[in-house]
Amino acid sequence: MKLYKKVGNTVQILSFPEEDIHKGCYLVIEDSDLNKGLIVQVIDVQFANVPGIMEELLRESFDVESVYGEDIDPLEVTSHILYIQDTRLLVCKIHGTIEDGKLVLSNSWLPSRTRSKIRKLSIQSLIDVAEIGGNLPIHLGETDELARLAVDAHTLDGKLNIITGKKGTGKSHLSKILVLGLIDHKATVLILDLNGEYTRLGLASDGKENQYHKRVHVLTPGDDFKVTLAQVNLSVMLKVLTHALTLPGTSSREFRRIWKSLHEMDRLSLRELGEAIRGWNCNQNVKDALFSRYYALLHSRFFTDNAAEAVFFEELFGKTENGGAIVIDLSDASSTERQIVVEYILGELQELLSQEKIRPVFFLAEEAHLYLGETYWDDIVTRMRHFGVFTTFITNQPNTIHENIYRQADNVFLFNFINEHDLEIISRAAKVDVETAVSIVRDLPPRHCLVLGAAVKDFPIVVKVRELDVQTGGETKLFFTSGQTTEINVA
Amino acid sequence: MIEQLHYATTPRYNFPQQNGDLLLPQKIIELSIRSMKDLRGEILHPYELDFPETALSEQTKERTTPLNGKAFTTQLTPLRPTSDDTPIVAIDVSSIRIGETETGILCAIRGAVVWARRKLYRYFRLGPFPFHINEVNKDEAISLLRQYHFSVSGYSSPIDVPTKLCDLVEKWIQMSICCSSNRSVILWDGSLTAGTNSNPLDVVSHLLKTARQRSNSVLAFSKMSKIGFLGRRIAELFSKYPPPWLFEVQETPFSPTLHLLGSVYMARFRNNGYSFRLDIDRIIPVDQRIDAVQRLLGNDLVFQSYPETLRLAHIYSTFTASEVIGIQRYIAQKFGLRVLTQRNVRKMLFGPFGTRFDD
Repeated sequence: MKLYKKVGNTVQILSFPEEDIHKGCYLVIEDSDLNKGLIVQVIDVQFANVPGIMEELLRESFDVESVYGEDIDPLEVTSHILYIQDTRLLVCKIHGTIEDGKLVLSNSWLPSRTRSKIRKLSIQSLIDVAEIGGNLPIHLGETDELARLAVDAHTLDGKLNIITGKKGTGKSHLSKILVLGLIDHKATVLILDLNGEYTRLGLASDGKENQYHKRVHVLTPGDDFKVTLAQVNLSVMLKVLTHALTLPGTSSREFRRIWKSLHEMDRLSLRELGEAIRGWNCNQNVKDALFSRYYALLHSRFFTDNAAEAVFFEELFGKTENGGAIVIDLSDASSTERQIVVEYILGELQELLSQEKIRPVFFLAEEAHLYLGETYWDDIVTRMRHFGVFTTFITNQPNTIHENIYRQADNVFLFNFINEHDLEIISRAAKVDVETAVSIVRDLPPRHCLVLGAAVKDFPIVVKVRELDVQTGGETKLFFTSGQTTEINVA
Repeated sequence: MIEQLHYATTPRYNFPQQNGDLLLPQKIIELSIRSMKDLRGEILHPYELDFPETALSEQTKERTTPLNGKAFTTQLTPLRPTSDDTPIVAIDVSSIRIGETETGILCAIRGAVVWARRKLYRYFRLGPFPFHINEVNKDEAISLLRQYHFSVSGYSSPIDVPTKLCDLVEKWIQMSICCSSNRSVILWDGSLTAGTNSNPLDVVSHLLKTARQRSNSVLAFSKMSKIGFLGRRIAELFSKYPPPWLFEVQETPFSPTLHLLGSVYMARFRNNGYSFRLDIDRIIPVDQRIDAVQRLLGNDLVFQSYPETLRLAHIYSTFTASEVIGIQRYIAQKFGLRVLTQRNVRKMLFGPFGTRFDD
């Protein structure tokens, strides 16, 4: 390999046919005189612009059936000609410097074009030199070079993460690996499970209970996940009413009065709330608005007057002290019910964290745009993160995640995308180099993920996500069975 | 005693063995290797490929003398293509200068033969043969050239030798084809004007004679001929006549040392094509000459008035820029040369104005 050109943080390298270099590989451009090496990643492999190649290809393009022949080349010069014609140009991005065997984040030097030697840097060497994995490793899978890639749980702690890719590429599979990895390190993970995919995390693929069985708590709102009004803080209830049920400001003020009145009388219950609205002296329109929201709360079956069937969040989180996942199964909930539940959970979470009643929590939100109110997007990356809610967004529609989330994301796990529009949105993430993402992500096979950000010390690495011995849930129900065949008679 | 019959081995090719022609490729290969064996440690200055006036001059050079017709011998001859499966064989050879060393020049030669039979084409390429010609080893090359009747002065510069080696290879391939073909139309690039350094009279005469003995017809096409009459190009004079046609031009060579071994024609085969000078072996009777051209038209594709076989031969022999780089790499690796790009004084002096068209 020969160093050809450097423009900005892009380096172009000439590579010859016998060198096995592909997209995603890391190379070191070593300048022995300076005792330094520039670490670059190959983001594209192109044909070198060899002069005269067009004429050569045109000459070879004659129809082989009408023009054929033989070359008598006694000196075997042709092999050298073919060698030149197969020369490739590697487009690489600079990611760091190795100086005296240590990683330095200074890229402001230029290696010599004539003296430099270029060699492949194995992913394992990169992992070692960049100390990726750390003390609390979560094993994600293997790279193309069969190096084991693990990310340090510390690099997810206090961070904002995004997992995205087109459907069927393995996003949920990776998120399950992260959940179980976090549980292994005694973390608490709260999952808003839209499709019931995480409900069987405690079962092995053969249906038997696995090591996580007792640490995965699945709650279904309206079924085994209900709360009493007495448990709910007024501010949380007002968020539910205004954000999930779009209660206008005037009506909210009346509701606040009703709630306070019932609270003072220690009579906060669904039945009492209904009665209070009915007997409240206020404008009829306001009363109608309050009633409609009251019935929405009632029909959600999420609220109960029976204290025995109520779930207390604080107690629930207590069960995960040694690591565990709380899976909120939203698969059977309507859109409004989802929003009510999510507003309650986030409000309650914020309340408990601000009072330091629970430990910080890792929060997985799949297709969050379907239940997350507009106001929460900014909250999640600012206030809630500060309190101790460390969110991971999972989506196959990158445009549904707000731009400021991308800008502040600390880790991005990218699966295959082909659509230009999707790639453009992803490239807004601060941790993503546009050219790297667009070039590598476009060619990722299923179950291969490009990891970017703090988890890989800002060295983008492609990993084949490992298998997981847990039962899958939430699979798409199909009309045709896999073995089904049909005979079609053609007249 | 049982009498045993003696069977002679069937000759693979029926070359005129008395000329030692069979040995020529081996001699060329040996000359190529010997010329480069002392290169180790030398510096190779490759020619710039985006500035190739020196490198490509060899292969674009037209080896045809301009002629001025003095009279029209016959009327314009309309042609009718004859499809009879006559094999069409075309030969072309290219040479290219690929760089300089401190002591000499590096060049490469390659030849191509293309056969057309029933509109199917088959090609054969020989080479490339790289050579390093310097003052020390040029005598060996000159000796080889003289052995094959090419007149080369002992005072010739090494720069002139590659062109002559190219001519030698071309003549050898032409001889091989003339010897091995029967009742074929053989196409050469250039003219049948003999007596020049590149076309020795006895060599060309021998080639044509050998071709005739096997009922072959040799047709030589010139791409850049300028045949005029009364100060006007002949092609312009006959532009209103629908092709295909031939027009014989009676002319005299400019120099008494030159010999026209072919009858010179102006040929135009297609409406949308060009007119070319066509030389046909003048010993062949006129009707056979016309017949040969008609068989060419009937058995080969003719695009833009130029035979496809000859076009392919040119394409297959010509060196592309990537091939030149490949040959430079071969020489550098195999013979231990250090490659150092030569400074382009013109570019250094004139920058973007240092074009090859400047003087």
